[in-house]
Amino acid sequence: MSQTSKDRSFIAVIGDEDSVTGLLLAGVGHLTEDKRKNFLVVDNKSTVEDIENAFDEFTSARKDIAVLLINQHIAEKIRYKLDGYTNAFPAVLEIPSKDHPYDPEKDSVLRRVRRLFGE
Amino acid sequence: MEGIFFNGNNGYIEGIVRGYRSGLLTSAVYSNLTQCDTLEDLKLQLSATDYGNFLANVPGSLSTSIIAEKATQKLIEEFRYIRAQAVQPLSKFMDFITYAYMIDNVALLITGTLHERDTHELLERCHPLGWFESLPALCVATNVEELYNTVLIDTPLAPYFKDCLSAADLDDLNIEIIRNTLYRAYLEDFYAFCKNLSHPSNEIMASLLEFEADRRVINISLNSFGTDITRDERLQLSPKFGKLYPSGTEALASADDIEQVRITVESVGDYKGFFDTSNNKSLEDHFYLREMELCRNAFTQQFTYSAIWAWVKAKEQEIRNITWIAECIAQNQKERIQNYISVF
Amino acid sequence: MSGAANREAVFPTRMTLTLMKGKLKGATTGHSLLKRKSEALTGRFRDITRRIDEAKRKMGRVMQVAAFSLAEVTYATGDSIGYQVQESVKNARFRVRAKQENVSGVYLPQFEAFYIEENNDFKLTGLGRGGQQVQKAKEVYSKAVETLIELASLQTAFVILDEVIKVTNRRVNAIEHVIIPRTENTIKYINNELDELEREEFYRLKKVQDKKQRDAAAQAAELAAKQALDAGHLRAPSALTQSAPEDLTADKDDDIIF
Repeated sequence: MSQTSKDRSFIAVIGDEDSVTGLLLAGVGHLTEDKRKNFLVVDNKSTVEDIENAFDEFTSARKDIAVLLINQHIAEKIRYKLDGYTNAFPAVLEIPSKDHPYDPEKDSVLRRVRRLFGE
Repeated sequence: MEGIFFNGNNGYIEGIVRGYRSGLLTSAVYSNLTQCDTLEDLKLQLSATDYGNFLANVPGSLSTSIIAEKATQKLIEEFRYIRAQAVQPLSKFMDFITYAYMIDNVALLITGTLHERDTHELLERCHPLGWFESLPALCVATNVEELYNTVLIDTPLAPYFKDCLSAADLDDLNIEIIRNTLYRAYLEDFYAFCKNLSHPSNEIMASLLEFEADRRVINISLNSFGTDITRDERLQLSPKFGKLYPSGTEALASADDIEQVRITVESVGDYKGFFDTSNNKSLEDHFYLREMELCRNAFTQQFTYSAIWAWVKAKEQEIRNITWIAECIAQNQKERIQNYISVF
Repeated sequence: MSGAANREAVFPTRMTLTLMKGKLKGATTGHSLLKRKSEALTGRFRDITRRIDEAKRKMGRVMQVAAFSLAEVTYATGDSIGYQVQESVKNARFRVRAKQENVSGVYLPQFEAFYIEENNDFKLTGLGRGGQQVQKAKEVYSKAVETLIELASLQTAFVILDEVIKVTNRRVNAIEHVIIPRTENTIKYINNELDELEREEFYRLKKVQDKKQRDAAAQAAELAAKQALDAGHLRAPSALTQSAPEDLTADKDDDIIF
């Protein structure tokens, strides 16, 4: 596991424009040699397929992503993918967005926590 | 004397603008807005003002961005209406107002072209006030050379490009430098244009633009700390007029900490309180406050084009205020909600 | 747990018995060790879970503050800087490196944020307007992302621990409910078999002894009989020899008659 986590140093983002802008300001954005971005802005024109593709790219295709941040309301659209995702790397983290406050009930990981403790 | 002829061409427009000005939200309305608990409340409160039912056709739930967008749309409709009535030199004056937005739009498209993005998508992001007929043509250009030689030449901004930037600059320089260089050229051009207007337009516009220029100089100086912008480059970006010009501009260009900026800025009487942060106001707040005061004063004179400028600026501030209040409500940050600027 | 099937297929020899006893001992030690490990991990796990819960709530607040700082930028610059920011991106300033922490033999990753300060793609953003707000938003968001990274560490630890605990518990259960009873059964079986063998051996020995005794007795009897017979014979001839001369004479006497 140590090998697989060593080369992972970037944070990927799938979010709405404001969330992505803020996180990019923090400096998480990166362009690879072949100009691939490590973030996706989801607006009302984006399809579920776009999100799925980005999710797959960040979680399985690319090996340099350590953490994937995804807005919760966007995660809702591909919930089945998140529920089925159990890999430790990259860690997928659901974050709130400006217009959608965080709801722990929806979080895939927290739901697992609850299930484990039989609540 | 000028009053006699002014009304012939521009009286109707001035009347309209003064009407619009009366429609600006007053302090009482703002204090009502800050009492709102939800955006729906806000919508209800706004419907009692000049905004009317501007949010009536919004599907789904409200968001601050939608409110801001709709409010801007209203401003643009009003602006276009006036522009359609205007004759020379007022029409030229109004075009000058739009150039500022054009610069932003062009900068946006240049960024897109440089990064080889699909620039057609960017057209939606352009500010409608900065729209000009050949703007979509900018999307045709696929590289910077082409953009410069064939497309930008046809835009109203061409003289600014011609004077200060070459095609190679577009490639090398940071887009922010390009934007600010253009803006400087624009401000100087606008200033020169206003000088030739009849009294009292020239006088009032001079003071408004001088403030605008000073604000830029101060901002550029403050924001270039810790960057690799040299003193000469800073001078290059600073408009060559204003209350601070020339000695202040010079000093600000070489300042490298906030204290030096403060000393320079405070040497101008009008700007004395700008760095006073005791009342929880940032420099930016002071700028806006000052701008609004100037705009309010601009309305006190008659027979002047400056009323239009003042109205546009006041309206923009109003949109910012509404957005701010909406944002505070939406994000439940009520303690900062009083941070809007209201002068009417 | 008495089924004869629930044991290992071994030859019930004394050597396998020793082997099995060793195995049982190993299994018991292993069981208690694994159980302790599982308890340690579960303790850790509960701790982490609680912290995740807390951190996720904290994140809500932190992100709200961050989003608000972006609202301030919008207020200062007058329009959205989103596109410009997206296009200015070149090199990540904010990166993470993974450290590892050893909890009861499990390596848990710890993401650690670090900055590459020279990579600042947004130095000039908001140059003419709102630059300070942009820088402020940058700071606030950096702090927010640090919180997020902390949370990501916890969450990854959670996922890994979850897996490890499951495996460990499976092992504990396997040892407790399968390996130990099975080994015990095998030992019992071997013991039984060995006892059986022993009894058989004993019986055989007894039989042998019996037979030997019987044989011995028979022999003895035969011998006795033979001896008795011999004694008769011997006595007779001896008597003959002893008495023969007199008898002989007597006989002879008879014979002499003729």
